[in-house]
Amino acid sequence: MSKILLVEDDEVMPKIISRILPEPEYQVDIAVNGKEAMQKLEANNYQYDLIITDIMMPYANGFEILSKVKSHDREKPIPVIIVSNAGNEDMIMEGFKLGVDDFLKKPIIPAELIIRVKRLLMKR
Amino acid sequence: MNTITDAILRFYESTIFVYGLVLILVYALLAILSLVAIRKYLSRTSQQQLDALAGSQLAPGITILAPAFNEGLTIIANVRSLLTINYPRFEIVIINDGSTDNTLEQLIQEFDMVAVDFAYNEKIRTQPVRQIFKSRDLAYSNLVVIDKVNGKSKADATNAGINIASFNYFLCTDVDCVLHKDTLLELIKPILQEGKKRLIAIGATLRIANSSEFDEGVMTRMRPPKKLLPRFQEVEYIRSFVLGKMGWSYLNCVPNVSGGLGLFDKEIAIKCGGYDHSSFGEDMELLTRMAIFCKDNRIDYAVRYIPRTLCWTEGPATLQIFGRQRTRWARGLAQLIRSHFRVFLRPRYGRFGMIVFPYNFFFELLAPLIEISGIIVYIILAVSGYINWPYAIMLLIFVYTYAVMISTLAILWDQLSFRYYKTVREVLSLCLMPFLEFLLYHPLITIFSLRGYFYYLTGKRSTWGNMQRQGFKKAAAKV
Amino acid sequence: MNTTFSDIWQEIRYFYFNAPLAIQIAMVFIVIAVSATVIAYLVILRSRYRSYRRTKQLQKLLPKIDDLLINEILANPDIPQDVHPSKIDLPLAPFESLPLQKRWARVAMTERIIHFRSNVKGNAGALLRNLYLQLDLDKDAARRLKSPRWDNKVRALSEYVSLELPISDVTLLPLANSRNRELRAAARQAYIKLSKNEPFKFFDSVTDPLLPWDQVELFRIITTTEDIAIPNFARWITYSTNKSVIAFCLKLVVHYNQIAAVPAIIKLLDNRDHYLRGDAINALGKLRVKEAEDKLVQLYNTQPMFCQVEILKALGRTNSGKYVDFLRNEFTHATEFDLRKAAARSIARNSGRAREVMEELLATTTGQDLLILKHCMNPLIKY
Repeated sequence: MSKILLVEDDEVMPKIISRILPEPEYQVDIAVNGKEAMQKLEANNYQYDLIITDIMMPYANGFEILSKVKSHDREKPIPVIIVSNAGNEDMIMEGFKLGVDDFLKKPIIPAELIIRVKRLLMKR
Repeated sequence: MNTITDAILRFYESTIFVYGLVLILVYALLAILSLVAIRKYLSRTSQQQLDALAGSQLAPGITILAPAFNEGLTIIANVRSLLTINYPRFEIVIINDGSTDNTLEQLIQEFDMVAVDFAYNEKIRTQPVRQIFKSRDLAYSNLVVIDKVNGKSKADATNAGINIASFNYFLCTDVDCVLHKDTLLELIKPILQEGKKRLIAIGATLRIANSSEFDEGVMTRMRPPKKLLPRFQEVEYIRSFVLGKMGWSYLNCVPNVSGGLGLFDKEIAIKCGGYDHSSFGEDMELLTRMAIFCKDNRIDYAVRYIPRTLCWTEGPATLQIFGRQRTRWARGLAQLIRSHFRVFLRPRYGRFGMIVFPYNFFFELLAPLIEISGIIVYIILAVSGYINWPYAIMLLIFVYTYAVMISTLAILWDQLSFRYYKTVREVLSLCLMPFLEFLLYHPLITIFSLRGYFYYLTGKRSTWGNMQRQGFKKAAAKV
Repeated sequence: MNTTFSDIWQEIRYFYFNAPLAIQIAMVFIVIAVSATVIAYLVILRSRYRSYRRTKQLQKLLPKIDDLLINEILANPDIPQDVHPSKIDLPLAPFESLPLQKRWARVAMTERIIHFRSNVKGNAGALLRNLYLQLDLDKDAARRLKSPRWDNKVRALSEYVSLELPISDVTLLPLANSRNRELRAAARQAYIKLSKNEPFKFFDSVTDPLLPWDQVELFRIITTTEDIAIPNFARWITYSTNKSVIAFCLKLVVHYNQIAAVPAIIKLLDNRDHYLRGDAINALGKLRVKEAEDKLVQLYNTQPMFCQVEILKALGRTNSGKYVDFLRNEFTHATEFDLRKAAARSIARNSGRAREVMEELLATTTGQDLLILKHCMNPLIKY
C-alpha cells in the first residue's frame, strides 16, 4: 500500500484523485491547505510515499511544502508532484529548482496522473 | 439687530443653504453612480476570469510593499499570508523601518534570510538602507527584506521599497493589514482592461478587522466589530468606499487611494518623487501629486476603485487612538490643500482641478468649520429668540433622515453585491449605526478635525514621536 | 385612535401648506428618505433570505452532483474505454434524482461540470461534455445567447467555450463585431476556440486594439485548445496594421518557439513604434536568435532607454559570447543605473569568455558597480 498526501484547496480535485487512486492499493490523505499539510507531515513523521500538491493555497504555498519535504530527508526525499492551475515558465522553473519530480498543469488527464504516480512510486 | 448684522446673517443663511443643497445633491448623485459602477463591476468580473489570470504567463509583475515598524507580534503570520497570495508573478518587499523590537530577527530566523550584496538604486531619497536580506530557501525567493534607519514615517519606508521594486506596478499596504488572496488579480484587472487611459492607481474597499476572526494571517470569519467605536468606523468605511469611492471612480474623480491598500504605477510615482515624508496624509498627498504630474505632462490618466473588500485593517478601538488618527488625517488634509492650492478651480487641471480639489476643499476641509459656525450661530439665534423652532426641527429631521438613508443605501449596495457577514443579525447591527452616528460619532470626527486644523496652524510638534508611531500603524486605514 | 391619526395628519397638512418652500421640500424629502430606508431594509432582508435558502439548497445538491459525476461518469466501470466518449450513451437514470427541472439546479449542474472540466481533460473531460449535452443543459446557453442583454450573451459564449460546443460562424461573426467591448472579446475567444475553418481569421480584420486582458484570455484559449492548427504568426507580424495584434503574435511566436517567424521579427526592428520595437527585441532574445545580435548592437545607440535595456537583456539570452566586450563597455560607461545592471546581468548570464570578463571586472570595480556585479552573480536574487 502506498501512502499519498494530497494538498489541494479546491474541493473537487481530491474527490477525483482519491477515486482514481483507490484503496487498498493507495491511501490518500487529504489536506485542504498548507497549514493542514504541514500538520499532517509532522503528525505522520513524513511517512508518505508521495506528495501531490497545488501551488496557490492559504497558509503555505506548494513551494514551501515542497521545500520543507525535500529538505526533511535529503538522502531519500519523498517524491512530489505539483498539480496546479498556475503553470507559467517562471513557476515551473522554480518548481524544478526546488526539486519537484513532476509538474502537471490543470486540467489533468487522470490516466496520465496514474501512470506518473506509479512511475514515481516504483523508483522509490 | 441692526441692518448690517441682519445682512450678514442673511448672507450666511443663503450660503449655508446652497452649501447644504450641493452636498445633498452630491450624495444623491454618488449613491446612484456607485450603484451603476458596482453593477458594471459585477457584470464584468467572474471567478473564472480571475483564475485564468492566475494561470497566465502574460500577467504583469507586481511588487508588494509592506513597511513594518515594531510589528514583532504579527510579522511572521502576516508575511506568511502575503506569501500565499494568488498571483503568478510577484515579489514581497518588507521594509523594516528601524524597529526597536525583534521584528527583523524574527524574519531572518523564520525565513532563513541572509544579508546580500544588493545593487540598491536610490531613485527617491530616503533614510539610509542598512542591509538587504534574501532567503536561502528557494521557496521564499520572492521575498526581500530591507533594513533601514527609522525615517519616522511610513512614507520614508515605502519609498525605500519603491526604490528596490523590480516590477512596473507596486502594491502599497501595511504589515498589519490582512489581504484577500485575490487582491493582486482584482487590482491589476482594471489596468489590463483599460484601452485608452493610463491607470495610475487602483484601490479597493477596506474593512475593519476588529471582531473578524483570523488564523495566522488568513481571514476565516467576517464579522462587524462588536464595540461601538469600531463599528461606527465599519459603516463609515462601507459608505466611503462602496458608495463614495465607487461613485467618484465612475466619474474618474477619486480623491484618494487608501494607504492600507492601493496599486500604483511605479514610473509615475517615482517621477513624482514618491511619498512625502513630511505629510500627515501621505497616501492622499501622493495621489494628488501623481494626478497633477499627469495633467502637467498631458498623460490621460485615471484612478479606479473596485467595490470588493480586499483588505482588513485594525480600527482604533479607544477614543484616544481614534482621536489621534483623525487629528492626523485632518492635519494631512489641511497640509495638502495648502500646498497644492494652485490647482484650485484651474480648468487646466481638468476634473482634478475643477471637481476633486474643490470638493475636498469645500466639503472635506471646510465642513467641520462650517458645522461649528452653524452651531454657534444657532445657539446665538436661539438665545436671542430668533429661531422658528418648528421649522428648525423639521430641517434637523430632514438632515438626520437623509444621512441615515445614505448610510443605509451604502450597506444595501454592499449587501446586494457581496452578501458579507454570516447572519442577518450582524447586518442589522450595522444598520443601527447610522441612527446613532449623527449624535455620537459625527461630533467626535468634527472635534478631532478641528483639533487637527489647530495643530496644523500652530505647527504643534510636542507629541510628534508618539503620534508618528500611532500614525504609522493607523494611517493605513485612511478613508 | 382613528381620530387622533387623522388629527395628526390634518396638523401636518396645515403645517406643510403654511411653511416656506424650503421647509416644504425638506418635508417631502423626509418622506422619501424614510421610505427609501425602509425599502432598503426590506431588500436586504429579502436578498439575505433568498441567498440563505439558495446556499442551503446548494449545500445539499452539490455533494450529490459530485458523487454522481464521479461514480456514474468518471469512475464508472460500465463505461467502455475503447469507444469514443462522444458516442457513448451515458447512464442518465441516476441523474433524474436531481431537481434539474429547476433552473437554479441546472445552472449549478452546468457550473459543476465546467468546474470538473477545469480539473480533468482527455477522455474524462469528453465524457463530462457528453453528459452536459445528453442532459440537454445546452438549451439554457442557446437561449441565453439569443437574449438581448450583452452580459447574458457573454455568459453563454463562455459556456460554449468551456464546453467546446459548436457554434456557427453566422451567429458568431456579428457578435465579434459588436459595439460592446466585452461581447466582442468573448465572441473572438469563441471564434478561435470553436471555428472549424480559420480560427485566426479575425486577426486579419480586427482594427481596435486587443487589450492586455483580451490577450490573456486569447493566449489561454489558444494554448489550451488541443486540436487547433497553429499558423505561422509571421504573417500578421509582417502584414498587420494593428500594433496590438503584432505584439500579441510576438508573444505567441515565443511560446511556440516559431523560428520561422524570425525574419519577420527582424524586419520589425526598423518599425517606428518604440514599444513594438522593444517587444520585437524581447522576442528575439527569448527565441535566442544569435543571428540578430549584430543588428541589435548596431541599432543600440539610436534607441530609447527601455529598448536599450531590452537589447542588453537579449544579448544575455542569446549568449553567443560575441558581444561580451560590448556588454563590458556598456557596464563601465553607461550613466544610467538600469543600463549598467542589465549589462552586468547579461555578462553574468553569458558563458565562456564572459567568465573571464566577469572575474576581471570583479577585481577592478568598486563601489556601486561592484555591488551591481555581486547582485547579478548572486543566485538568491531573482530580479
